Amino acid sequence: MSTTAVRRPALSHLFFWFLFSNGGVITALLLPVHVLVQGILGPLGIVKVVDQHYDTWIRVLANPLVKLYLLVLIMFAFFHFAHRIRYLLMDFGVHAAKTVPAQVAFYGGAAVVTLITVWILLTTVPIGI
Amino acid sequence: MATEIDMPSPHRGEGQGEGQGVKEYRWRMPANWWTRTRHYFLYVAREFTAVPMALWLIWLLYEIKLAGNGPAGYYPPRSAAFVAFSAVVLLFALYHSYTFLKLAGVIIRVKVLDRSIPPRVIVMAMFGAWAAGSVVVGFVLIWFAR
Repeated sequence: MSTTAVRRPALSHLFFWFLFSNGGVITALLLPVHVLVQGILGPLGIVKVVDQHYDTWIRVLANPLVKLYLLVLIMFAFFHFAHRIRYLLMDFGVHAAKTVPAQVAFYGGAAVVTLITVWILLTTVPIGI
Repeated sequence: MATEIDMPSPHRGEGQGEGQGVKEYRWRMPANWWTRTRHYFLYVAREFTAVPMALWLIWLLYEIKLAGNGPAGYYPPRSAAFVAFSAVVLLFALYHSYTFLKLAGVIIRVKVLDRSIPPRVIVMAMFGAWAAGSVVVGFVLIWFAR
């Protein structure tokens, strides 16, 4: 009997690593300025920000490029978060985080957030008004 | 016929009276391992940045959804609690950006004319992209508020 180990490319690992690393870069490049401007400067009244008034917020959200941008930002970010939190749980000794059901829960959760984002972006403000 | 090999645990019998029984020794990290050194603590802090950033993006989604309520049902965030929450998230987000973009020098390998670009240049390019991206997004968020 041969004892040759069966070698298969870890395609799912490759796929989720792609989402993780790109999500990491996208959130690193883009998220801090959103938090600073929309979360601090706008609410404090230091600068005028689009989401501080209904009219300007809705005008920006109607733009298809903005919708696409927000979808890419949120989708990649959540796949990145799912990967990071799953591995953090493993580091804390939660062995269940390695299992297939955990992978389905974490990456499935990111997929659900993506679908909710698509739904919100398409139903909240019509494109191009 | 090819079969998969059942590899023994590398820890089997380690310091546990090897050969005396069939009990497998399983090493478990103490729960507070990450508080023991500054390096471990910063590693866990880096991984944890995902949680506050996720919470802030969920809030952003909620704010987008609010726009569907019409002008009477839309109330922009102006509370001190929200600003404080955002300030905490910003610290985590900046820490994520700094650590992740710095890591790019280790991960990304680019060759130009058979010569590898030094990691320092790659890291500088990533930080440059961060500055450029921040300027563009900040400009859009502020310019279109007029």
